[in-house]
Amino acid sequence: MKLEWRLAALKNGLQDATAYRIEFIFEFLSAAFVPAAIQWILWYALFKIGGATEIAGMSYQDLLQYTLVSILFTQVRGGDLDFELGEMIRSGQLSNYLLRPVGVVEFVFLRGLAPKLFIAGFCLLLGIVLSFFIDISPTRLVGAMGLALIGNVIYYQLSASLASAAFVWEEAYSLLMVKNMVVNLLSGELLPLNLFPQALSWIWMSAPFYLFVFGPTQYALGRWSHEQFLVQFGISAIWLVIGYGLIRLTWGLGIRRYLSLGG
Amino acid sequence: MKPYLEIFRVQLKNNFVREAVYRTNFLTTVMVDVIWMGVELSLFTVLYANVPTLAGWTKEQVFFFLGIFFASDALFSTFFQRNFWMFSDLVNKGELDILLTKPVNPLFLALTRWMSLTTFFNVFLGLAIAIRFAEPAGFAGGSRWALVSIWLLVGLATAVALRFAFSIWVFWTERSWALSRLYYQFFQFATKPDALYPPAIRYLILTFLPFAFIGSIPARALLHGLELEEYALIAGVLLAFFVVDAWLWRVGLRRYQSASS
Repeated sequence: MKLEWRLAALKNGLQDATAYRIEFIFEFLSAAFVPAAIQWILWYALFKIGGATEIAGMSYQDLLQYTLVSILFTQVRGGDLDFELGEMIRSGQLSNYLLRPVGVVEFVFLRGLAPKLFIAGFCLLLGIVLSFFIDISPTRLVGAMGLALIGNVIYYQLSASLASAAFVWEEAYSLLMVKNMVVNLLSGELLPLNLFPQALSWIWMSAPFYLFVFGPTQYALGRWSHEQFLVQFGISAIWLVIGYGLIRLTWGLGIRRYLSLGG
Repeated sequence: MKPYLEIFRVQLKNNFVREAVYRTNFLTTVMVDVIWMGVELSLFTVLYANVPTLAGWTKEQVFFFLGIFFASDALFSTFFQRNFWMFSDLVNKGELDILLTKPVNPLFLALTRWMSLTTFFNVFLGLAIAIRFAEPAGFAGGSRWALVSIWLLVGLATAVALRFAFSIWVFWTERSWALSRLYYQFFQFATKPDALYPPAIRYLILTFLPFAFIGSIPARALLHGLELEEYALIAGVLLAFFVVDAWLWRVGLRRYQSASS
């Protein structure tokens, strides 16, 4: 029974995401390639117009490879499930879920995970095709995608914890928007994090966001050794535990205050 | 013209009353925008930690550009953004019916109904950034500050024309959500100075998708002035956009079938 509803949630999530197939593909492509184009433009301006030969130890080729490979992991990270949770709380729709024998936080996660698993599979295939042109090993790609998927879980855990602010604050969505912007910068989606000046590196190192895109990309490109990867895997496991604890705490407190108003 | 000004005044008043009810909204709106500005400034701070100039732009010049861009974008968010989010509902839910029955241009009503007046504060934040970096960026200052308002209006007109061009297709499609998202993806091209772009993309954002007119061209015009042909290009492209947008609106209206559209 426990497995059944989880599988049903996954199936339902995939069906929902692909109901408008053209839109699903359109969104996937635009979300992947426009940010990559922006990154490429920055490298173009630095190297081709500005005449730089190396930045933070990376050549134009290195940065292009980073941009290209990071797309594979950017698509696996995230989603707007936290906004969905916040809206459920705000509008009172959460009550419908509380009556059912499923955990609402996990249910929403599984529904959102389904299309991400599909995209992860697709990106993995794309990465294997890329490995014919760029020097990346398929084995490393699989490991990196595993780390990106763990990153997806951590991202959701932190996002869902923040969404619980909606139990006490009408405008909680603004916290989620702020979180999205911070994650964009500190996950390595906008630029490789080793471009950060040494004195500021602690900023991205002390948050788990680099495990979402920067970490997997570094490993896939062979810029992290297997040992470094295992250490980071361990760190991601710690963040998973912290995230789990945060959800239990925030939602436990939130549900106690929940009045089921609105909607 | 006078009735339109009066209608605008009433819309402004109604929106002010509505927003006065949600006072915490002011703080959250400012907070979100300050973080957004912070992320954009941080991105360039990181880049400039590695290089002295980017395509001939110094860090101060880019920050001046960002200030102008933030102010221009805040103007759009204040007066138009919400109307475009509601545009799809106007057509799909038949809400356009009520606007069509009024004795004024329905497009004027459709684009001025909703405002986010709290966002107007961010115009000042953007200008504060521009003022802070104006001198080190090489801005001549003095009477040239008067030109800032004109260039902000150019940026605003461009954003309206572009956003409209992405939204109007709702008359032909069931959902305009994907196109709206696409607009915001392309909008990222507005967040960098146009000099950074390779020739093909630069041509695109100066002609068919003139996102460079929102912040980059105004900043460049204020800092260095433009060539005569660049002024002609801006006028030509904006005029073409307004003519095509108006034509699409008329054709779209002919397709409109009220609530069942």
